[in-house]
Amino acid sequence: MTGMEGRGIYAGYGKIEVLHGASVRAGQGEIVCIIGPNGSGKSTLLKAMFGLIKPKRGTVLFDGQDITHLAPEEKVRLGIAFVPQGRNVFTSLTVRENLEMGGTPLDSKKAVRQAIAEVLETYPLLKDKIPYKAGNLSGGEKQILALARADMVKPRVILMDEPSIGLAPRMIEEVYEKIKAINTNRGVAFLIVEQNARKALSAAHRGYVLDLGVTRIEDTGEGLLNNEEVKKLYLGG
Amino acid sequence: MDSLPYYLQTVLNGVLAGCIYALFAMGLTLIYGVLNFVNFAHGELIMWGAYFLFLAISEPFALPLYAAIPVALVITALLGAAMDFAVFRPLRQANRLTLLIAAIGLSFFLRNAAQLFWGAEVQTYGFEIRQGYQWFGLYLTPQQLAIIVISVICIIGVYLLFFKSRMGKSMRALADNLDLARISGIHTERTILSAWVISSLLAGVGGILLALDTNLNPEMGVTNLIKAFAATLIGGVGNIWGALAGGIIIGLAENIAVLFISPGYKDAVAFVIMVLILLVRPYVVIGERRD
Repeated sequence: MTGMEGRGIYAGYGKIEVLHGASVRAGQGEIVCIIGPNGSGKSTLLKAMFGLIKPKRGTVLFDGQDITHLAPEEKVRLGIAFVPQGRNVFTSLTVRENLEMGGTPLDSKKAVRQAIAEVLETYPLLKDKIPYKAGNLSGGEKQILALARADMVKPRVILMDEPSIGLAPRMIEEVYEKIKAINTNRGVAFLIVEQNARKALSAAHRGYVLDLGVTRIEDTGEGLLNNEEVKKLYLGG
Repeated sequence: MDSLPYYLQTVLNGVLAGCIYALFAMGLTLIYGVLNFVNFAHGELIMWGAYFLFLAISEPFALPLYAAIPVALVITALLGAAMDFAVFRPLRQANRLTLLIAAIGLSFFLRNAAQLFWGAEVQTYGFEIRQGYQWFGLYLTPQQLAIIVISVICIIGVYLLFFKSRMGKSMRALADNLDLARISGIHTERTILSAWVISSLLAGVGGILLALDTNLNPEMGVTNLIKAFAATLIGGVGNIWGALAGGIIIGLAENIAVLFISPGYKDAVAFVIMVLILLVRPYVVIGERRD
């Protein structure tokens, strides 16, 4: 099985358990969206799958291999990237330095330089911003930079936590255009958590509804958009 | 006395003292940036750095200075790495008050260890005092010239490290956002270890320069930690260039104050500056980090 999968994940913070056996999968070349109400454990699920918090039970698989207990810095080296929600750029570093940090797993300065050149072709918006502090970018530009930073290592799977939160509609459009382009051109799989679900579902091949720490419904993106129950309960009518 | 060269000499002395304080402050602020706590045992790295040189040039080793200095600095860096390994690494998840208290305990331990080993009395390296240079009525000893040259070299080194090298940029990234650093694939423990080595080297170089210019005693770390801390407060904690500027400002303030008050109160100047800043911004020691 290629792609990334979480099976029966139990996780939480301290004594509070947030996930009670959630399962999701993003196959090779798939855009998969996880929706669900506030506090359903969407972000926790991504963090547990990436290793930022330790799952109490359950398995994380990458290409069928058990990677549950690998640290984030090791998962990046396997080709899994993570774009967290908010605070997702190094604000005191320049845009170039942010990209260099994304390129940490690459083995030479030359490889980093080349990756930066390629990333700037994919995200031309960043070209003019290269020498400036990332803290001075607009919210949308930060989100693009965060995606570009993750893309430096040419990952095969990108996990994204609420990419559209706090962005102007035009920038949300821009971010999703990029996601679709990277997915189509390079076959990168995406596992995206969104609270604002319509946009994400329309871009996604498949989706899950996560509620109270378990995956309730699984369907195609379109299927979920048209599902009466999902519409009523999770998409606001 | 009240002539222009006299005032210029005061400024020169201030800059000299300031260079050393800046080296201390940059090391202190680096650890604050990366681990988010004030390392109150930083003064003991300064003191032990100076004593390691004393050890290397004394019998039975009696190394010449050019060989003794690198040896002393390497051992100081090892001491810094050992401090992290033995005390701070097991406390990585602890809150900053715990870290602060651990650092104070470590400071007592290292100070008393030095006293046990070397005695409490003041010592000197015992180099013969050479004739100073004199330009336009300004007086500068060879030791003082060395302080300026070596400090400038260290500052350039710090610049190259933090803004040109991958390791230094990783340290800045870690200080900026620890989670994002891990997410980006930065090996955090390796980066933290490098920060300890750099911080200890800066402390060791500063301690040696200070001892060359004045003398050694087990208490030298404590007074200088206060000055370094005041300097980092002036510059904004965690800001490396702020620490540099803060160090120079403290050095100048101390020496200029001597024009008006008794030299016996010189050390109080840094305390007064520190207390004033803490009254206005107390959160830097135990409060929340500002982001």
